[in-house]
Amino acid sequence: MSRYAITAAIAINLALCTVSSAYAAEAKQVFDFYCAQCHGVKGDGKGINVGPDFATDPRNFTLAKDMEKRTDADIKGVIKDGGHSISKSPLMPPWGATLSEEEVDALVGYIRKLCQCKAK
Amino acid sequence: MRSLSITVFLVAALLVITTEHSYAGGGNVIFKKNCISCHYTDGPAKEKTIADQLAKKGPELWYAGSKFQKAWLVAWLQNPIPIRPMKYNSLTEQNPGDHPKLSASDATEVTEFLMGLTSSEVKPGMLKAKASIMGRKIFIKDMPCSGCHAFAIRGEVHGGKSGPSLIGASKRLNPDWIYAYMANIKVFKPVRDMPDFSSALNPKELEDVAAYVTTF
Ligand code: HEC
Ligand code: HEC
Repeated sequence: MSRYAITAAIAINLALCTVSSAYAAEAKQVFDFYCAQCHGVKGDGKGINVGPDFATDPRNFTLAKDMEKRTDADIKGVIKDGGHSISKSPLMPPWGATLSEEEVDALVGYIRKLCQCKAK
Repeated sequence: MRSLSITVFLVAALLVITTEHSYAGGGNVIFKKNCISCHYTDGPAKEKTIADQLAKKGPELWYAGSKFQKAWLVAWLQNPIPIRPMKYNSLTEQNPGDHPKLSASDATEVTEFLMGLTSSEVKPGMLKAKASIMGRKIFIKDMPCSGCHAFAIRGEVHGGKSGPSLIGASKRLNPDWIYAYMANIKVFKPVRDMPDFSSALNPKELEDVAAYVTTF
């Protein structure tokens, strides 16, 4: 019986791990494809598009002290409606018509991982 | 005498038909041999996932006849100077500028073939290049277009690097295609790193920005 329980526990654990790592891999792929062009693959705001024409640099997601000022809902809102919608740089595009709800949620989670922070 | 002239007529007619056919077919044959490994020409769009897009070696050409201007296409195929600053699908490597080159006669035949590939999504003859103030405001100020696309103001280059350069768009692109692309981007590129602007901009704004881009 206990052997069954252990096997079952291992199986469930394995299944969960694959699910969550597949999810993480997908979030990274989505970020690298859509966001890294400006925010950089590392999320440090140094993407290839950034040059003298960027009056405001893309947000550096690795700075916890900046990112903890934003709630998950703030981050989600700006991803969907763009910088223009909240009087921030219009160079931050609106992605609401491009990304699914799940992709936006995955990006919020990924950004939280980059800053190692939560909303304060 | 009568049957001879009929035979001559028939042979001549056949000749015309076959030459015309091999002319149209010529571009297709050249394309299949030299280009199909990187470009697909049978629509509709095939890409469903990011991985599908990243696996492509070059842009899809199934609507080339609606997108490009013929004179630009025939010249570019002979002298393919880089359009995208970066290598296709790369954020780290520069465009190596090593696109295959065609001879003048092959370029003419391939252009004939590619200009025949059109999309019913694009309504020809709707828009013309126009230095619209609204279009300029959208492109430069309100929307992030310039974040990814290069453009020039009085000879000075501005803008980002991840998208195709729009310098020379007045010669390269058809404004009706730009409008259709902005209004219904998923038909042309279901998976791409450019945002869908069809809800951020209304049809009039999309027309203005398409007309403005075609002045570059
Ligand atoms: C064309 C360049 C560009 C692209 C592509 C881009 N961003 Fe941004 N982003 C910016 C800029 C510029 C800012 C800074 C806005 C400001 O602070 O005024 C920004 C800011 C942000 C912010 C912070 C807003 C705040 O509260 O300070 C978030 C979150 C964000 N971007 C997420 C994303 C995500 C997720 C993606 C990919 C889906 C993405 N961005 C793609 C340019 C870009
Ligand atoms: C090794 C892959 C490869 C082959 C083979 C190739 N192309 Fe390309 N093609 C590309 C890439 C990559 C680009 C983008 C180049 C750029 O942006 O500068 C491109 C761009 C183009 C464009 C412009 C498309 C656009 O949307 O900007 C046309 C037209 C074109 N190719 C036609 C051809 C023809 C015709 C042939 C055959 C003679 C051919 N290509 C062979 C990779 C290839």
